[in-house]
Amino acid sequence: MFPIKDDNPQVATPYAVYALLALNAVAWLLLQGAGSSPALGVSICQYGFIPANVTHASNALNTPEVCGLTAGPGWLAVLSSMFMHGSWMHVIGNLWFLWIFGDNVEDAMGSLRFVIFYLLCGVVAALAQMFSNPGSTIPMVGASGAIGGVMGAYIVLYPRVKVHLLFILVFIFTTFRVPAIAMLGYWIVIQVVGGMTSTGATGGTAFWAHIGGFLAGAILIWLFKDEELLENHPFRGWRQARNPIDIWDDPDNKA
Amino acid sequence: MNQLADRCVLRSMYKSDLHSVLEIIYQHDDDDGEAAEEELNDLGLEGHHVIVDGDTVLGATGYRPVEGCDQTYYLSWTYLTESARGQGLGKRMLREAMDELANQGARKIFVKVSDYQEDGVNIYGSALAMYKSFGFKEELISQDFYDEGESQTILGYYFDAGSESDDDLQVQEEKPVIRFNGLFEIAETEGAYSFAWTVEKTKGFLNKRNFDAQDVQVGLDAVRDEGGRKVFLTFPSNLVLIHRPLQATGFKYVGRLKDYYEAGLHELHFSHDLSSW
Ligand SMILES: CC(C)(COP(=O)(O)OP(=O)(O)OC[C@H]1O[C@@H](n2cnc3c(N)ncnc32)[C@H](O)[C@@H]1OP(=O)(O)O)[C@@H](O)C(=O)NCCC(=O)NCCS
Repeated sequence: MFPIKDDNPQVATPYAVYALLALNAVAWLLLQGAGSSPALGVSICQYGFIPANVTHASNALNTPEVCGLTAGPGWLAVLSSMFMHGSWMHVIGNLWFLWIFGDNVEDAMGSLRFVIFYLLCGVVAALAQMFSNPGSTIPMVGASGAIGGVMGAYIVLYPRVKVHLLFILVFIFTTFRVPAIAMLGYWIVIQVVGGMTSTGATGGTAFWAHIGGFLAGAILIWLFKDEELLENHPFRGWRQARNPIDIWDDPDNKA
Repeated sequence: MNQLADRCVLRSMYKSDLHSVLEIIYQHDDDDGEAAEEELNDLGLEGHHVIVDGDTVLGATGYRPVEGCDQTYYLSWTYLTESARGQGLGKRMLREAMDELANQGARKIFVKVSDYQEDGVNIYGSALAMYKSFGFKEELISQDFYDEGESQTILGYYFDAGSESDDDLQVQEEKPVIRFNGLFEIAETEGAYSFAWTVEKTKGFLNKRNFDAQDVQVGLDAVRDEGGRKVFLTFPSNLVLIHRPLQATGFKYVGRLKDYYEAGLHELHFSHDLSSW
């Protein structure tokens, strides 16, 4: 189950999304050597976020020491880790989601605000992951927390919009459309289940970062959204949006 | 009488005709004469014609393009001297001017008509009848436009009947930053005002994207201070952010001039009655 596109028209050019996609791609290709060894391992330790590094909490879950506790830039890694990834699949998957859902969220607030919103969601995501296991020595990387925030905002802004999903059953490729609320709702449920059941002892999906980012996005969007911009958007909200001009259909508003 | 029609020709209006033309208009109505004198002097005679019998000017007609629109025109001063009316000259004058416009690729033309009564008679009644007989259709009526009790009817005519749009143009990208930057009494009216507005291409990071109800209220208060009766505003139909502030401050929807800017892009008319407050 993989989203291919959404039926949500773009109003303005999503410059911030383009810039974030480019930054992530450049970081992956140049800083991380496109996943080659040893650049990948070095970059993850150098720019990844290691909770134990800043909390100095005891490693309660006994995570393996991947980088050594002196590695990494400490708190700054909260930001730098958002632009690092662990594999080709990881970077492509993340950027694909940003591409599909980011543009319409940027539409609802403008480019500059979107960058701030994106970074804030990433920070909350990293902190959420840190609180889930403060003593963890595993470096956390990936844009998924911030992108989780984008998805949280999307579900609040455009719950009815149809998302086209690719469905692969052995050799049958088919697509179907579901409302964003269903697709993203399913996604967050998977994260919560994952977060409850995973021990965090191994590296892997940072479920708590996804959940933290998603909640941050769903909440911050109320602060960041620009009602005037949204007025322009035919697919906003839960119900069929009224065209602003229809206000004059009311006999009381006619001369 | 047929002879008169045969002898008459329509030709371009020159500066030297102005005196006779204005005399005809003044004879019909003093206010019209004044307004025509000012307008013709200010904007020139391009697109204007006179119908003459030899050296005698019997009437005039003309058109002006609407700036920023796709082949949209307004019909200009169209008058016949009293003795020449009722013989088909008016319609012929109109026909020839409109043929000329059609050849220039005109898409739509509008005409404004008052319903002013003199001794119980609508002095523009025959004009309205002529436009309708020509094929103009009534598009909107602004009550109390020229003065209390004197409304303005705007009629429209498509040069190609098939060019009337079925669909409204919904330009989603259109998010212009609109600012009011003044107010003025509308020409030819007593106490009808409008706001001047400009469009800015970009908006500051923290600035408002559009005028809000407060801005509209400031304008309304200013018109009231100047002793205005009514405020009339027009906007293109593809702006999404104007409706709420206008409705919230008590503006009413008058109607629209269809396909005014281009096919699918109309001009919306709103009015606010200050006396009813
Ligand atoms: C308007 C005016 C130019 C019309 O000229 P005209 O030569 O009298 O009109 P025509 O003889 O060509 O008649 C045109 C059509 O209007 C109709 N019409 C003209 N006057 C009419 C009247 N008083 N009542 C009813 N119908 C009338 C005619 O029957 C004819 O229709 P038809 O062709 O379907 O039979 C002329 O009456 C005039 O100068 N009026 C005063 C100025 C004025 O009002 N100008 C317009 C300002 S917006």
